[in-house]
Amino acid sequence: MNILLVLLKTALVIGIPLGIIPLILHVERRGAGFIQRRLGPNRVGPFGLLQPLADVFKFLFKEDVLPSHVRPVYYYLAPMISLLFAILPLAGIPLCGKIDIDGTLFRPEVFHSDLGILFIFALTALGPYGILLAGWSSNNKFTVLGAIRACAQMISYELAMTLTVISLILVYGSSDIHAMIASQGQLLQIPFISSFLGLPAWGIFLQPIGALVFLVGIFAESNRLPFDLAEGESEIVAGYHLEYSSIKFAIFFMAEYVHVIVLSALYTHLFLGGYNLLPGADFLAEQWPLLTPFFEFVCFFSKVAFLIWLFVWVRWSLPRFRYDQLMDLGWKRLLPLALGNLIVTTAILFWKHSS
Amino acid sequence: MMAEFFIFALVAFSIGAVLIGISQLLGRKFKGIRKNDIYESGMDPKGEALRRYDIKFYLTAILFLIFDVEIVFLYPWAIYYLENKGSTFLMAEFLFFMAILLVAFFFFLFSNSLKWEE
Repeated sequence: MNILLVLLKTALVIGIPLGIIPLILHVERRGAGFIQRRLGPNRVGPFGLLQPLADVFKFLFKEDVLPSHVRPVYYYLAPMISLLFAILPLAGIPLCGKIDIDGTLFRPEVFHSDLGILFIFALTALGPYGILLAGWSSNNKFTVLGAIRACAQMISYELAMTLTVISLILVYGSSDIHAMIASQGQLLQIPFISSFLGLPAWGIFLQPIGALVFLVGIFAESNRLPFDLAEGESEIVAGYHLEYSSIKFAIFFMAEYVHVIVLSALYTHLFLGGYNLLPGADFLAEQWPLLTPFFEFVCFFSKVAFLIWLFVWVRWSLPRFRYDQLMDLGWKRLLPLALGNLIVTTAILFWKHSS
Repeated sequence: MMAEFFIFALVAFSIGAVLIGISQLLGRKFKGIRKNDIYESGMDPKGEALRRYDIKFYLTAILFLIFDVEIVFLYPWAIYYLENKGSTFLMAEFLFFMAILLVAFFFFLFSNSLKWEE
């Protein structure tokens, strides 16, 4: 094991998502302004681009309040653990294809598990722990209620998401993330018509219902509007981070944005063709074979950027759900839909294999 | 090869720790009884924070455990099915498993255990 290589990969895999968080913040604020027909922040730096940086410095210079009623060790541990559990799944998510240098294959992801996609989902499922710890250690009615609500919401939507992934494993024929992405690089095969309009075999075309369930699932998992019941201002003040101030509060926000990035990257890999070159961009890899990993990264990144814009777009377009509507959507709509999707997928595959 | 993962986790954890450390150094400190009190919309705090909460949350957690364990059982089945494509026995097994899962699902759906509002 080459320790320098591991450190380089770690720096890249953590640095890129953390580096684009200020950009996402800016896009989110300006996007809100654009959708609500106002300007948004435009004073600090060109086009207000330095506003997020100014916010970070303000958070750093603010007083670090330690309220008298909290459980001190866990109170400080909770933001760190939230950020840790948000970043951890990135270890298994590749940013580009395997890099071929003189016949040796280098894996772009930091850690490769034989469990494949299951390992990444196990790490994503750790999310509620940071929130529960924050709510419990703050020792306040609103924070405990917010944490319990967030936790119940996240675990409810996880079921439907995990069921969707099983049908994806059956469709792609592997649980390894590289094999799943390679399977999406082919052309879409439809009975009677060999290839349909030259569409690639992306998960969103093979599993449209699964793609819909997973899309709703990632919105609920990351606690974003319209599912941000963990911090419903009109009901429980600010939810689980009510007692947090200064940079600790900012770290919770960083964790939320990292969660958004991780889930967008997962969605891209599972449904939008991952790091495969976009249709029509294949000539780039033929012309400059050495730069292929870079082109793959650009294609992957543009899809993730589109999904993040979708997060912003939905956030400022839809109102918040009521809590009973949220639970009904998770348990009575999405879970049966995902179960039915899995049964139908398995039946079609069985019919195809046995005939 | 787990060492790679632990290095990654250590770096990820230290980001939060370093940020909180910097903020401890830079931020000023003022103490005050009212300031360090519980925030309850400006009212005097009443009672314990860890009082009893709705049992629905507990039921949700139990239902999640049951369903998640069953879903995790489907992962090895999916991998095994891909190695023996078109096996009738595996398909029958899957349908039997799903039948049990669906019975459990409809039982909890009609038992009103997740009914939040009247």
